Amino acid sequence: MHRKQNFIFSLLAIVTAVALFVSFFTAGEASKRETTRLMRDIGFNLRIIPIETDMEKFWATGFSEYTMPENYVYDFASHEGLSYAHLTAMLQKKVSWRGIEVILTGIAPEVSPPGMQKPPMVFSIERGTVYIGFELVRNLGLKNGDVIDIFDKPFTIAQCLSESGSEDDIRIYAHLHDVQNIMNMENKINEIKALQCLCFVNGENINSVTLLREQLARFLPDAKVILMQSIASARENQRLMTEEYFGFIMPIVLVVCMVWIGVLAIMNVQERRQEIGIMRALGYGSGKIALLFLGKAVAIALVGAVVGFGIGTGLALKFGPDIFKVTANTIKPTIELLYWSLIASPAVCALSFFIPAMIAITQDPAITLREE
Amino acid sequence: MVRLEKVSKIYRTRRGNVKALDEVSLHIKENEFAVVRGPSGSGKTTLLLSIGGMLRPTEGKVIANGRDIYATSKQERAKFRAENIGFIFQLFHLVPYLNIIENVLLPVGVGKNWPGRTDARKLLERLNLSERDYHKPSELSAGEKQRTAIARALLNQPRIILADEPTGNLDPENAGQIIGYLSEFHRGGGTVIVVTHGMVADQYADRIIYLRDGQIEKSFENK
Repeated sequence: MHRKQNFIFSLLAIVTAVALFVSFFTAGEASKRETTRLMRDIGFNLRIIPIETDMEKFWATGFSEYTMPENYVYDFASHEGLSYAHLTAMLQKKVSWRGIEVILTGIAPEVSPPGMQKPPMVFSIERGTVYIGFELVRNLGLKNGDVIDIFDKPFTIAQCLSESGSEDDIRIYAHLHDVQNIMNMENKINEIKALQCLCFVNGENINSVTLLREQLARFLPDAKVILMQSIASARENQRLMTEEYFGFIMPIVLVVCMVWIGVLAIMNVQERRQEIGIMRALGYGSGKIALLFLGKAVAIALVGAVVGFGIGTGLALKFGPDIFKVTANTIKPTIELLYWSLIASPAVCALSFFIPAMIAITQDPAITLREE
Repeated sequence: MVRLEKVSKIYRTRRGNVKALDEVSLHIKENEFAVVRGPSGSGKTTLLLSIGGMLRPTEGKVIANGRDIYATSKQERAKFRAENIGFIFQLFHLVPYLNIIENVLLPVGVGKNWPGRTDARKLLERLNLSERDYHKPSELSAGEKQRTAIARALLNQPRIILADEPTGNLDPENAGQIIGYLSEFHRGGGTVIVVTHGMVADQYADRIIYLRDGQIEKSFENK
C-alpha cells in the first residue's frame, strides 16, 4: 500500500511539473503572440520626419512642414539587416476644402520586411478613393460611394469613418500618390511611421527599438527619429516581464518537483531497507540495486511525461482561449513539448533519485538484516 | 570450505564500542551441518553475516574456497554470495509486494545459473507451496513464509546455507519441517550453518558450537 502511495505521489510530482511546463509553454506562446498583437494595436512607436522640422510646430500641428524623398522608405526597406516590422510613408497637409480646414493625408501601401508580410497597420487605400473623417461626413452629409472633388480631382468615398475623438475626425485619407498629385509634391513625403514589432525579427528581440533608431539615423541622414518613449518602454517592459515571469516560475516548479520526488525516493529507500538488504544478501551488486531505483525513476518519468503532456495541453486548450482572446485560435497542442517532456522528465527524475539511489547502495545490509 | 582466522568485529556506537566477535577461529568443512548456539548478544548473527560476506570483520580473515573474501571487491563478494550462499532469516525478509513465485525468483540473474519459473515451481512443490505461488507473503502462515524463504535460498543451488534463527518464529511442527528441509539440503551435499536456540536441529548436526561474549565457548562433534 505504501509502495503504491509512493508511486502515485512520485507520478503526481512528475505529472504536475510536466503539466505546468506544457500548459505554460503552450499558452505562453499565445501570450507572446497576444502581447505582440496588443502592442501593435497601440500604434506606431517611431515617427521619422525631415531633419529640418521645427519640433514646436510639429507638435502643434501634428505633422512636419518640410518634406523628404519618398524613396527614403523604399531605400530603408530594401536595406538588408534592418529590424523593422512595418513602414508607412505619409504626406499630410492642412488644406481648406469646401470651406472647412481638413488634414489631407496621403498613405502609401505599407512596406513589410521581405518574407514577413503582415496585416497592414493602417488603411490600405486604393488609388482614386478616399476615407473621410467623422466630422466631415457629418457636416457635409457624405456617405459611402459618393464621388467628391478634391482640388478638381474626382474621388469615390470608400469609407466614412466613425468618430475617433481626435484630429482624425477632420482628415481625408487618400493614396499617397493621389495626394502628391493633388498637392504637386511628387515623390515627397513628410513622415514615415514605423512599428518595431518587438519579437520575431530575425530571432533578435533585445533592444530592438534602439537598434532600429540607430539604423535609421545611419541610413537616412536627412531624417530625424522620434521615439515614442513611453509606449516603446511599455512594450519592452511588458515583453521582458513576460519572459522574466517564465524564467522565474519554471526553475521554481522544476526545483520543487525535484525535491518532492527526491524526498519520496528517500522515503522509498527507507521503506525498502530490508528488501535492499535481502537483495544484497542474495548477491545483487550495487549497480543492479541502483539500476532498480533509477529504472523506476525513468519508468515513472515516462508515464508522467505522457500524462502531464496530456493534462497540460488540455488545460492550455481549455483555459488559454479565455485568457488570450485575440490569439485563441493559435493555441494548439505542441508535439515538440511531448518530445522534450520525454527527454527532460527522465533526466530530472534520475537526478532526483540519484541521492536516494546512492543511499540504497551504500547502506549496510548487515545492519538492516540484523534488525528485528 | 570456510575458515575464520582470528575474526573480531567491533560495532562502534554512540554509547561506546561493542565487541560482537572476539578473535574467533573456526573451520567449517564441506558438507558439514553446524549448529551455532549461544545467548542473545553472543555474536551468532554477526558470525553468520561475516561468513556470508555481508559484514566485514574489524580484524581477522574469512577464507572461503581458499580466498579471503574481504580482500576482494564488493562486486566479487556479491558474486560469491550469489553463487555459493543461500541466506535464511528468522523474519523471512520476503518482499511484501511480490507474490510467492516472484519472491522465489528474486535471485534470478545474479548467480551462475539462470533458473526459471519451472525450477521455482519444482522447489515450491517440494516445499508444499505449489498452491500458494500467486499469494502475497501477507497471505501466508509463518511456516509457509519460511518455506518460501528456503525455496528462494535454494533456487541458485548454493553450496552453503546460512540460516539465522530459521525456526524462531515457528511452532514446533513447522520448526521440525524447516530443519528437515535443511537436513535434506545437507544430505544432498550442501553445507549448513544454522544459528538456533531450538534443539530440533541437534539431531542432524555434525557439530555444535557454543558462542558466549563473542568467543567460542565450546565446539564439539555431535556424532
